[in-house]
Amino acid sequence: MASFLSLLLALAAAPLYPGIILKVKAFFAGKKGPPLLIKYYTLWKLLQKGSVYSTSTTFVFKLGPVVSFAAAVLPLLFFPFAGNASLFSFHGDVVLMLYVMGMGRFFTVVAALDTASPFEGMGCAREVFFSTLAELTLFAILILFYRLSGSLSMSSFFSEGNTLTLAGASGALIVLVIVALFMVLLTENSRVPVDDPATHLELTMIHEVMILDHSGPDLALIELGAFYKLFFYAAFIIQLLCPFSLPLSLLNIIFFFILLALVYTAVGVIESIMARFKMNLVPKFILTSFVLGFFAVILTMGVLQ
Amino acid sequence: MINFLEVILVLILLTVLLSLGSTRLVALVRIMALQGVLVSLTPLLLKGHGLASLGAVAFYVAMLAIKGVLIPAMLIRAVKSVSIQREIEPFVGYHASILMGLIFLLSAVFMTNSLHLSLPEGRALILICAVTTMATGLFLMLARKKAITQVIGYLMLENGIYLIGNALSQHHSLYIVEFGVLLDLLVAVMVMGIILTNINHAFDDVDTTLLGQLKD
Amino acid sequence: METLLLSLAVVLAAGILPLLANRLFTPIKACYVVLTLLGCGWGIYSLWPLMQLSVPATYTVAWLHPFELRFSLDALSSFFLIPILCVCPLAVLYVFHYMDHKEERQRIGVHLFLFNVLVAAMAMVVLAGNMISFVLAWEMMSISSFFLVLHEYEEKATRKAGYIYLLFTQLGALCIFSGMGVGFAFTQVLDFSALAKLPETAKLWMFCLMLFGFGSKAGIFPIHIWLPYAHPAAPSNTSAVMSGVMIKMGIYGIARFYGLLEISSPLAGQIVLVFGMISGVLGVVYALGKQDIKKLLAYSSVENIGIILIGFGVGMIGAAEGNLPMAIFGFTGGLLHVLNHSIFKSLLFLGAGAVAKQAGTRKIDLLGGLMKRMPLTGKSFLTGSVAISGLPPFNGFVSEFLIYVGAFYGLQLGGVQYVFAMLAILAMALIGGLAAACFTRIVGIVFLGEPRTERTAATQESGWTMTLPLMLLACCCLVIGLWPEPFVQAAFRAYGVMQANLQLDPAQLLEITGKMALGARIFFVLFLAALVSRKLLYRDKVVDSGPTWGCGFTQGTVRIQYTGTSYALSMVEFFRPVVRLSAHYTGISKIFPANPSYETHVDDVAEQALNSGLVTPVQFVLSKLRWIQHGHIQLYIGYIIIAILIALLCI
Repeated sequence: MASFLSLLLALAAAPLYPGIILKVKAFFAGKKGPPLLIKYYTLWKLLQKGSVYSTSTTFVFKLGPVVSFAAAVLPLLFFPFAGNASLFSFHGDVVLMLYVMGMGRFFTVVAALDTASPFEGMGCAREVFFSTLAELTLFAILILFYRLSGSLSMSSFFSEGNTLTLAGASGALIVLVIVALFMVLLTENSRVPVDDPATHLELTMIHEVMILDHSGPDLALIELGAFYKLFFYAAFIIQLLCPFSLPLSLLNIIFFFILLALVYTAVGVIESIMARFKMNLVPKFILTSFVLGFFAVILTMGVLQ
Repeated sequence: MINFLEVILVLILLTVLLSLGSTRLVALVRIMALQGVLVSLTPLLLKGHGLASLGAVAFYVAMLAIKGVLIPAMLIRAVKSVSIQREIEPFVGYHASILMGLIFLLSAVFMTNSLHLSLPEGRALILICAVTTMATGLFLMLARKKAITQVIGYLMLENGIYLIGNALSQHHSLYIVEFGVLLDLLVAVMVMGIILTNINHAFDDVDTTLLGQLKD
Repeated sequence: METLLLSLAVVLAAGILPLLANRLFTPIKACYVVLTLLGCGWGIYSLWPLMQLSVPATYTVAWLHPFELRFSLDALSSFFLIPILCVCPLAVLYVFHYMDHKEERQRIGVHLFLFNVLVAAMAMVVLAGNMISFVLAWEMMSISSFFLVLHEYEEKATRKAGYIYLLFTQLGALCIFSGMGVGFAFTQVLDFSALAKLPETAKLWMFCLMLFGFGSKAGIFPIHIWLPYAHPAAPSNTSAVMSGVMIKMGIYGIARFYGLLEISSPLAGQIVLVFGMISGVLGVVYALGKQDIKKLLAYSSVENIGIILIGFGVGMIGAAEGNLPMAIFGFTGGLLHVLNHSIFKSLLFLGAGAVAKQAGTRKIDLLGGLMKRMPLTGKSFLTGSVAISGLPPFNGFVSEFLIYVGAFYGLQLGGVQYVFAMLAILAMALIGGLAAACFTRIVGIVFLGEPRTERTAATQESGWTMTLPLMLLACCCLVIGLWPEPFVQAAFRAYGVMQANLQLDPAQLLEITGKMALGARIFFVLFLAALVSRKLLYRDKVVDSGPTWGCGFTQGTVRIQYTGTSYALSMVEFFRPVVRLSAHYTGISKIFPANPSYETHVDDVAEQALNSGLVTPVQFVLSKLRWIQHGHIQLYIGYIIIAILIALLCI
């Protein structure tokens, strides 16, 4: 019951948090910023509209948003929010999750290539390259988690008795993991310093340029999928930060959703104080995150168990 | 409970990694400052060290000040005064350097495991950390062009040596040796500042490859 | 067992038909196709009861007094027979419209005959029950496929490809035969079953020789060089079967001899794993860099062979270390990937053949926009691409998932094995990402966007016998992805033959497979739900069409589309040390430059190293021996006499 409730809450609340990022950025810029519910308004507006399709496109273009949306929802079904058992789980579900996200990416990329636009092709080439490297980081983290917890499913990573949190026995390694995961979050969700969602020059975009030609409900599906994806990574990090062992599961859930704002604030702060990297430095950034994860893995060989 | 010693050691590894990947000189110096602070904090968290006497306190404070503030400040001044280009210009590319860091760590783990030292509880990680730091320091001296990065590499090497001392010693009286090394280093950084200015005057750049022109 | 062999005879007979009576081109071709389909169908039908038997069925023929040809069928053979008997008939069906040049009917007749010889030979390789029948079938397979590659023998590139293939396949055969020689030297019988009694070092030597020999057929990294030559040179039905099925015979050999030798040292597993990782990663990187569709697919075969070997390597380490779940998951995943790869790789090769035939070029950067012009081919090609990238809910994911789980079990081991298991996982992750990049590239550039040349724009869909096999194979990909249990079970039974002395329990395997399949189905349902809700959201909405947003640039032509080369370049550059990237740029000199050109090549390191390290020195030495060759026939007879004399004296 609690897991079902928290899933519904997550699905409903995911568009709220990106509003926090905008607020933080506005704060740094000394502005008032858009209202907190701005993303809901945007989604509602998009759902009311029709669409314009390019004459170059085929059915693949329309399939892109649908697949990427489905691929963004699936990981949430397997995610144990606030330590509650997830809706589904099995040994190896993390691999399925990562590959389903890969499926979403495949169709986003193919749909973008369908428009015959040189800019979108450029974005696709970057997206597949960077996310391949980011996937390496995630697998290094999975190796570490398997080593520490002996299991391969998201819900048993964070179930009782497992101590994959900062306060646990191997907290030192979790520090590395959190940093690596945050770097992956920035990469996979195309935030500064990897990509700038607020830029206006198509030549420099990664994710935004791939969805240039989508409009109306299609765009709404893509946006919502992007919110879920960001939510997934943020929730992952929060689970690592804090064990959520309050006696009442409802309290845990509330605590969890409040803490989530922390990650989004961090994203907002990073976005306000950093400039984006030159494109050729991005692989180095992601490689650094991989090596962080790998450092942790190697350390489990030697001393830290 | 959070094991602060392990956290600090892991953070030292993080700075090692970042130093391999950093592209800007100023950023590199800042990372070194952070590493200096972290390294000089480690003995405080070791069992059997602690703040035993007034001398020890003075020693730690001096250590922190030199490693964390004085040397970095001098380095930054050197960078600014000779208006070196901000890019680091590596011989070995950044990707390869980062992967080298991985290899260093992996071999450090195997090395420590095969040494069979009878270390006190929790010291093995310090040794791994120290070996990695030293190897990376040497690697930075080898793989970067600028004179200033060679000094930074040397600094890192010294940090590694200091960590090894921490891992092996039971008592802080042995720190005298490291303190001596540190003072040497301080002098070295000063000398480097002067030489750097002179190289800059002679060649309008501080690229060490230009020194090759000095031979007959 | 006899009926199975009889069905193979039917296939052979079907092949003789177009060879003898090629005057009536189309009717004979139709007869050939129908007869081959019947033969293969009968084979599958007769295979079914044999698969239920618990003891292997055998059939023996006495031949040439000292030798005896023995064929036997166990779960491992029948598992490899499935792709042979299912994929080959589809390739035969494909031929009907693919080879429609009446004026070349003699050549096509020969081709079809050899094709069926290849099919029968592959089945016999799998069925072979002793060394002599194995060797016989293996050589039949190699020779017939060599002539199939030489189909367009007038072209110089094809002849070169044929010779390279012949060289590698015979070199491999040499290693296999000498490996068998090692076995024979110890056991003194031609039977397979005695091999388990070999001393441990002899086992390891024999295994390494076998690995090299079978590896040259399968396309393991440094000895894969023939693949990117032979596949583009051969007609597409041949390359589909060669890549989809024939190179799996190499894998079959490795699996079979591993099982027979009962190696207990983990070293064998480590060697296989290392070769698997190298082939996997480098195969896909080279695939990214290639501009010829069929070359790309050939390198992708190298990659998939790498994945299979990673699975086997993980399994071998697991078996040697007594970590049974690791062994079960690794081997089952590897074996299942054999089946999966034979399905989607033949699909992709047949699709690429259709594209090359209809559009007249194999160059990725000249194609584009084919999805609108060849919708059925395009849709099945898209399915195959998703499947080969190992994405759920398609079949490639199932096998890769099992290998992942096996490798994760390997993390429980200590020391060096831990590092191997870790590297296996990371290599798989890297391969997965790069494969997705590689196949988004081929789908996106070839089938989507706008056609890049006028010739491409005029492309039309191919005949129904060419699209039907594609669609059938695409359906297989989805079916295995959503309901993998029976296939996993078949792969597990095949693995059971390889390690008969271990007590293996499939319960855990089936449980995890079942749950994984449930996850894939949930994803499929989510996808359908999203599709339906999208339909609902678009009810009563204005849907318009217009040109693509040019980002402010209004004079766009089709030439400014992103090309496949630039798409892959940054990724290929990332692997610079292991990938040679050479560029030729003429430069621009005048104000109105005449014909500036820019070209990039991705060269194979293994090929270059082999060229400079082995071929050039050997050529140098041999050129010094040129004087032996005079051209006088009398002198040659003299040589022969001398050779015989020396041989007789020495023995």
